[in-house]
Amino acid sequence: MNRSPLPGPYPTRRTLLRTAVTAGVAAPLLSACVTGGGDDADPAAGNTGAKSADNPLGVKTGAPLEVVIFKGGYGDEYAKRAEAVYAQKYAAKVDHQGIQKIGEALQPRFVANTPPDVVDNTGASRLDIATLVSAKQVGDLGQLLDAPALDQPGKTVRDTLLPGVVDDGTFDKVPLTLNLTYTVWGLWYSKPLFAAKGWAFPKTWDEMLALCASIKAAGIAPWTYQGKYPEYINDPLLSMAAKTGGPALIQAVDNLEPNAWKAPGLIGAAEAFAELAGKGYIMSGSEALSHTEAQAAWSQGKAAIIPCGSWLESEQQGVTRPNFDMVMAPVPSRTAADALKQTAVQAASSESFLVPAKAKNPAGGMEYLRILFSKQSAKAFAESAGTLPSVAGATEGLTLSSGLGSVRDAVAAAGRQTFTYRFRTWYAPLAKAVDDATGELVNRRVTAAQWSDRIQKAADALAGDTSVTKYTR
Amino acid sequence: MRHGRWRFLAGALIPALALHVVLVLSPYAQAFYLSLTDWTGVAGEAHFVGAGNYARLGGDSLFLDAVRNNAVMLVVVPLVTIGIGLFLASMMHLGGRGGRRGIAGSGAYQIVYFFPQLLSLVVIAVLWGFVYNPNNGLLNGALRAAGLGGLARSWLASPSLALPAVMAVLIWSSVGFYVVLFSAAIDGIPRELFEAALIDGAGGWATFRKVTLPLVRQSVQVAFVYLGIAALDAFAVVQVMTVGPGGPDGATEVIGLSLYRNAFQYGKFGYASAMGVALFFATLTLAVLALRPGREERAVPA
Amino acid sequence: MTSLRERPVVAAPPEPARDRRRPGSVAGVHLAMLAWAVVTTLPLIWAVISSFKTDDEILNEPWSLPASPRFSNWTRAWTEANIGRYFLNSVLVVGGALLLTMLLGSLVAYALARYSFRGNRLIYYTFVAAMFFPVFLALVPLFFVVRQLGLLGTYQGLILVYAAYAVPFTVFFLHAFFRSLPGEVAEAAFIDGCSHGAVFFRVMLPMARPGLVAVGIFNFLGLWNQYLLPLVLNPDPDRYVLAQGLAALSVSQGYRSDWSGLFAGLTIAMLPVLIAYVAFQRHIRGGMTAGAVK
Repeated sequence: MNRSPLPGPYPTRRTLLRTAVTAGVAAPLLSACVTGGGDDADPAAGNTGAKSADNPLGVKTGAPLEVVIFKGGYGDEYAKRAEAVYAQKYAAKVDHQGIQKIGEALQPRFVANTPPDVVDNTGASRLDIATLVSAKQVGDLGQLLDAPALDQPGKTVRDTLLPGVVDDGTFDKVPLTLNLTYTVWGLWYSKPLFAAKGWAFPKTWDEMLALCASIKAAGIAPWTYQGKYPEYINDPLLSMAAKTGGPALIQAVDNLEPNAWKAPGLIGAAEAFAELAGKGYIMSGSEALSHTEAQAAWSQGKAAIIPCGSWLESEQQGVTRPNFDMVMAPVPSRTAADALKQTAVQAASSESFLVPAKAKNPAGGMEYLRILFSKQSAKAFAESAGTLPSVAGATEGLTLSSGLGSVRDAVAAAGRQTFTYRFRTWYAPLAKAVDDATGELVNRRVTAAQWSDRIQKAADALAGDTSVTKYTR
Repeated sequence: MRHGRWRFLAGALIPALALHVVLVLSPYAQAFYLSLTDWTGVAGEAHFVGAGNYARLGGDSLFLDAVRNNAVMLVVVPLVTIGIGLFLASMMHLGGRGGRRGIAGSGAYQIVYFFPQLLSLVVIAVLWGFVYNPNNGLLNGALRAAGLGGLARSWLASPSLALPAVMAVLIWSSVGFYVVLFSAAIDGIPRELFEAALIDGAGGWATFRKVTLPLVRQSVQVAFVYLGIAALDAFAVVQVMTVGPGGPDGATEVIGLSLYRNAFQYGKFGYASAMGVALFFATLTLAVLALRPGREERAVPA
Repeated sequence: MTSLRERPVVAAPPEPARDRRRPGSVAGVHLAMLAWAVVTTLPLIWAVISSFKTDDEILNEPWSLPASPRFSNWTRAWTEANIGRYFLNSVLVVGGALLLTMLLGSLVAYALARYSFRGNRLIYYTFVAAMFFPVFLALVPLFFVVRQLGLLGTYQGLILVYAAYAVPFTVFFLHAFFRSLPGEVAEAAFIDGCSHGAVFFRVMLPMARPGLVAVGIFNFLGLWNQYLLPLVLNPDPDRYVLAQGLAALSVSQGYRSDWSGLFAGLTIAMLPVLIAYVAFQRHIRGGMTAGAVK
């Protein structure tokens, strides 16, 4: 929890800063400079209490706790419930903020070394986690993961989480974030629609192309996608590539290995999606639709299949017609020799909670997360948010909607074969290069080979950029 | 008297200057400094990297796309906006049969034209996103209704059409302001000049070129500066409305968007500051170039 | 200027060699004017109409009228999204900032336009250059300055920052205006023994009224729609201004697809500005005339 020692060039910079600033700015403002640094005292000093079986993290009774929650589609009531538990248990005042613009609101506070104790770093304007991590702004959650779970005797917090959740928040072997929701990516369709037309959801890509032909013949567009944000169509493409190439392909991509993007699995998947577009199986106009517009067109039956993560059902609540009964299916296998089975799914946890390294009450922050990630709290979250929490078994005994039920079944069918790419979290600029290239691919402005070339070039440039912190898996 | 003069000047200037230095200049001065560092924007540490950030700008293909797009907008948006503005203002003025404000109802027209000026660009961009929707948008809907369905396009998703579509929104939102501005300027032209032109047998176009245009020149210059600044920004519209945003594939990328993405999403605040400083000098150069001749002509003693 | 009142019908049109004296040409002018009026208003009318529709209607029949107007969208935007409270916050902050901006801006513009002294030009360009800097570059450093002054998240802090960022344009606009005012009245006032301050407040400021109104309205529009500054300097949801409230609404819309609520919120934010404009538009145009003529 201690501040890292100042790096070498710091005094030089400080001197320069002083010269530059005094040239035009009044002296009292010096201390208001962004890079002036804070005081070096440990902000958490005096905010720890004695550890006990009931208080394994050593929370100091009465020490205030500040929680900042992203108030998006899931609201923030679930967070307030956990805060109430905390406030009662530790006789503490809990300051709650439910906001949308996490980044803009918290960035200056991180710089000033006065961050809150718990941050739900989520939403379109969240802080780039890789940047926060390389700036050593995120606290180690190891203690929390090894602490006993709140309401599952004999288990640690780590034991209660779904596969991959701890990894998703681990940077250089240190667990730094804990993700509340468990997202699975796949292809969505209306079960009653498919049943009425006698369509079966395909398990192989050849079957998919055949099905698309009959869907098109029935006067419905086979696919649509959220064209304004090309990452949506990226997900099934990269899933398909991962199934062909297996963990080795994913690892090569994430580790920025030379020619990783030239793997046959990736080029084959790109060719498949180029073919999908080339045969006119994507609803025209999709390329310019926002996620809400494309999803609305799909739920109105204008297109049969849409790629999306498992949040789709709750996002579509207001506009889905009754008895639409959406379900999610895994992306079809492209070859008979695929390394992963057809039921493997791309899955990752999201809705990242973190305890800042310079929080005033880090023990309290972790204890709050222990309460939030308890089975009871997760169950209540699953019920109100209609999405899968990253706590195992949180949906036990609940009656699930068709979409959420299909997601749970997909997770069960995949077993240990869930996979995820990490480059999107680690290297945001590479993610943008991939999205742009895929957008061009499915609009047939580049070929699969050009697609792979230009992404490889971007990945190589990133690999050679010494100013970017690299991660490996 | 002299004493009172200095006291008044001090009282008039010092409060505003203090506010300006503390709240405007000092943050910008820091931004200039940050452009020479690798500051991430999330921690109190930064390392001096000299001109490194500026050197990288030249190899950033997305930033170069942004510079190209901003340059196109810088030429097209002011020219078209001022063209339409002058056209409507002079028609409004001289097309009517007497009456100070030109044709009947020109006051009402001016009110209506000004409406978009009252809305924030975010609102405008949301609205226009719907207008451009390829499947049920207003634009394609109108084209199909008029039997011109063949002209319907996926406006924001075609690389060649996306930038013009963005520019059209900027033009749409600002024309009204300039109609009112130019109309006011034309109001100020003495009637005798138009009469003299008529007696000389000048046609409509000649009158416009020889009488109207020279006399509203200063307004046009100011308009160029305002619109140039708007065209160099364009951040809100591009971010809310376009594919990506900034796409497809960089077709609508603008410097402001690159800056925002690098600063707030990639944690490269130092690099983003370098973009901002470059943008600052571009804007300043534009303003100086556009205003200079006007400044010399106006012989008001300081 | 009033001489234009008697402009003969033969007044030449500025447009390419077509003769506007024929009645048909007046119709042509109206047609062009009307076309632009339609292009201007259609999206706005559509937003207002959409605020009365259901989400399903907005997505399925985006260009038709609602089957029955849904006022509940407005209620939802007003109560659940707190648009009413944000509206009052905006009025308070923008009102205070506007007063301060006008006072400081007119003083600076007047002092720089009518007095010659060493450093005059430097001060002028110091202010004017600030108009050209992209605001989000200053955001994070600005946060620290405001925090250091103990003004973070307060109305006063927001008012001061708004004013500081509106003063440069005000100076730029009014500088030319004060230069164009005749000097005789001021000289007469000096001879009568008025102080410099009295000449400014009693003589010059009233003469500059049209310019003040015009720049005041531009400042109002700019500040009312200001979004980046409060985003960083005003983190407390209770003190949100309207633009922040709308952004919050449009973000949660992004997750929940509440289009109708969003449009109701947009309309609520839009209408007062439109009404205020229609009420004051004579002053605005008067101010622009005054500003443009010199």
